[in-house]
Amino acid sequence: MALKMFEQVKAPFPLAKVKNVIAVAAGKGGVGKSTVAVNLALALKKAGYSVGVMDTDIYGPSIRKMLPEDEMPSQKGETLFPAICQGIRMISMAYFRKQGEAAAVRAPIANGLVIQFIKNVEWGELDYLFIDFPPGTGDIQLTLSQQANLSGAILVTTPQEVALMDVRKAAHLFHQVNVPIVGVVENMSYYQPEGCEKVFLFGKGGGGRLAMENGIPFLGEVPIDPEICHCGDVGRSLFADEKMETSGAKAFTEIAQAFVAHLGTMKRQSVEGFKAFELVWKEMMT
Amino acid sequence: MRSPAVLIRDIRQKDNYTFTIEWSDGQVHDYRLSVLQKNCPCAKCNDEVTGKRRVDQEKLRDDVRALRVYSVGRYALRIEFTSGCSTGIYSYELLRELSNHSNK
Repeated sequence: MALKMFEQVKAPFPLAKVKNVIAVAAGKGGVGKSTVAVNLALALKKAGYSVGVMDTDIYGPSIRKMLPEDEMPSQKGETLFPAICQGIRMISMAYFRKQGEAAAVRAPIANGLVIQFIKNVEWGELDYLFIDFPPGTGDIQLTLSQQANLSGAILVTTPQEVALMDVRKAAHLFHQVNVPIVGVVENMSYYQPEGCEKVFLFGKGGGGRLAMENGIPFLGEVPIDPEICHCGDVGRSLFADEKMETSGAKAFTEIAQAFVAHLGTMKRQSVEGFKAFELVWKEMMT
Repeated sequence: MRSPAVLIRDIRQKDNYTFTIEWSDGQVHDYRLSVLQKNCPCAKCNDEVTGKRRVDQEKLRDDVRALRVYSVGRYALRIEFTSGCSTGIYSYELLRELSNHSNK
């Protein structure tokens, strides 16, 4: 019998128990990445999925405010257990700093913290883990692309051309690192006072154009709804009042449905390949 | 719509100096480690501004081996060479280009 002279190891890659790891990114700050990540997570949780959120904005974490914890994160040895927030598992730098205290750290330290979030957090089994990306296309974004086993990315934009300029760069980054883009969400698309026509404050159709340029699905528009802002500020779910469906809640429900459908299609059509591997070199007899 | 990127379907050691990749489009290529090291894209081996090689190609050994080869995200792999070089990220695109050299 031939001796086995080499060994191929499929690495026990991080986030192995998470079915879909999804980046929520824009390349730009202020377009509503965290708002989209939180409300998409809440919409999917309401639909019966198990969901987690990883807030990787080390310098300006905002998700804890929007999604306050029912249980704080805990630690056992090197393993971190995420906070529980309305049934959603969550980790954020906000748990490790006092509110209002700046994380004055250089890039390698910030990068190290994100690697700990990837490798040391025990998420358990999840259907979806949303990684709320920080703005930009730099060190942390590359680390996440290289180490977080991303299944796909959602691009968030606002309609105006100035925002699209940066979001196009984020799209380019994901193309470079072979992370498929599930679709585009356009935030702050319009404002519609009761009984009035829609007012397109920041222009019209920018998100749709971005999707068309890249040949990717357009997942939907999120209107400017004061209730989205209010719920984020007081840490209440947009879906808490089942009797009253606001325009924001309706938009996120539809976007969540579109996201699940497009991700499913994308995964069925994608080519088969290793997610992560490690080949340990062995001495072979010649 | 962008065409789907090729991924690695299988990777295994062929002999002490070579590994084989089976790509998702069915192509199979052998990669000799010495050829890969001569084309290492890392900043130590390659001047990123001028594009010139920083390492004397004549001094690179033909019998260089690896300690391990592992994935980087969905787009590249990294090789820890026995020579000490280990920082180069070999994108799948680069590997497909180099397959012609390695297989000659």
